Amino acid sequence: CRISSDGKPAKFQPPPKPVITDKRKQREERRFLSPEFIPPRGRTDPLKFYIERKDMIQRRKVFDIPEFYVGSILAVTTADPYASEKVSRFVGICTQRGGKGLGATFVLRNVIEDQGVEICYELYNPRIQAIEVLKLEKRLDDNLMYLRDALPEYSTFDVNMKPVSRLDHEEIPVNKLKVRMKPKPWSKRWERPKYNIKGIKFELPESKMKEAEKWRQPWLEFDMLREYDTSKIEEKIWKEVSEELKK
Amino acid sequence: MMPIWTKSGKRHAVTLLKVQDCHVLRYISKEESGAKTPKLLVGGKNASPFSKSESAMEIFREAGVPRKQKVTTFNVTDDALIKPGTPLYAAHFRPGQFVDVTAKTIGKGFQGVMKRWGFKGQPASHGQTKTHRRPGAISTNKAGKVYRGKKMPGKMGNVYRTSLGLKVWRINTKHNIIYVNGSVPGHTNCLVKVRDSKLPSYKDCNKNPPFPTFFADGDENLPEDLYDEEIFQFTDPSVTYA
Repeated sequence: CRISSDGKPAKFQPPPKPVITDKRKQREERRFLSPEFIPPRGRTDPLKFYIERKDMIQRRKVFDIPEFYVGSILAVTTADPYASEKVSRFVGICTQRGGKGLGATFVLRNVIEDQGVEICYELYNPRIQAIEVLKLEKRLDDNLMYLRDALPEYSTFDVNMKPVSRLDHEEIPVNKLKVRMKPKPWSKRWERPKYNIKGIKFELPESKMKEAEKWRQPWLEFDMLREYDTSKIEEKIWKEVSEELKK
Repeated sequence: MMPIWTKSGKRHAVTLLKVQDCHVLRYISKEESGAKTPKLLVGGKNASPFSKSESAMEIFREAGVPRKQKVTTFNVTDDALIKPGTPLYAAHFRPGQFVDVTAKTIGKGFQGVMKRWGFKGQPASHGQTKTHRRPGAISTNKAGKVYRGKKMPGKMGNVYRTSLGLKVWRINTKHNIIYVNGSVPGHTNCLVKVRDSKLPSYKDCNKNPPFPTFFADGDENLPEDLYDEEIFQFTDPSVTYA
């Protein structure tokens, strides 16, 4: 250690101060509003959506509905009067999220003993005992119905999978997996532009892909009557919902 | 329309009906109308007074009430008469009651016989010449005429129809909303007449309803939401079969 001019040991130098980044600000930027809160476009009275939202918030206060997206792997335990243990547990990947308000649903898909199984659960059904997110991730599409025509290995998930841990403030990972399909015929013509699927590795010949482009409707993105800008509605609803849930 | 769950886990669909500024307009006695029971005229949603003649506005002026969009009659017994001008609220009905709902059905315009009356039509192929959705034969040879009331194409919908025996699951006293089981005739936000059920199986189901009606005097302080006994309320924990 250094000896100063006096001969006594040097004054204790504290270590450099760590840089404190306010992680709360980073966390607050990412708000997730569940898609069933956004009211659909129509001629219904907004009072109906307000009352439905009150009921949904009531249920969320008692039962925790986690944040998840299409492509995340969930495990759902429901009360079943016909099962021996009165509870049935199902693990699967979320392929679709539909419905608005209290009737919101999500479909979980898994392949059990070589049989593909899809179960449609209602988010606000009182028979659901627990929803756990085993792996939170997004995929390239909003709708993974094409997994029905993909090779079964892409829909099989271990029933006793452990939840994958992730830090709170990280962004949700997007799985850019390109899925390989079974040979044609498929249940729907997924190569057509109307489905706008980015998550399939098409191994079709170029002529077939060119023929599918005939059905493209490039004028749809410029159609002003189809626009539904939900940003302002989302802001208002997000404020309302977060205030109610904090109480 | 909304889903509703019972305590046993069953799901039912429910229609929300809002009671919007309902007032009693006039009392018509038995002798005046010549009917078996006295009647009460009740008016619905408020509307602008400027598009009606003076004579039509007389009823509303006497009752001291703004002009109503819809006026209906209810056949009432002598002991259930209400003074004209009193407002009516959703708390007039209680959960567990059964109710008939009348409204004008959605107008479908001029429709063919297959959509209007559910005829089967003819096959699409196997030699049918220009006949796929037609009624076919309309009468027999012996009759020599077409009977009155024969089902034929015509204007469909925009007619008053009633859904009978609908259960009331829940009442919201703050916003005056009645949750009624099942579907109800009419489009969204249309005007609807709600009446106690006349079905014989629900004659004695009304236990202590507010008689003659629910007066919002401030004497009875009802909770904001009145639920039926079997409904699963979202404040309870999840349903289990133990």
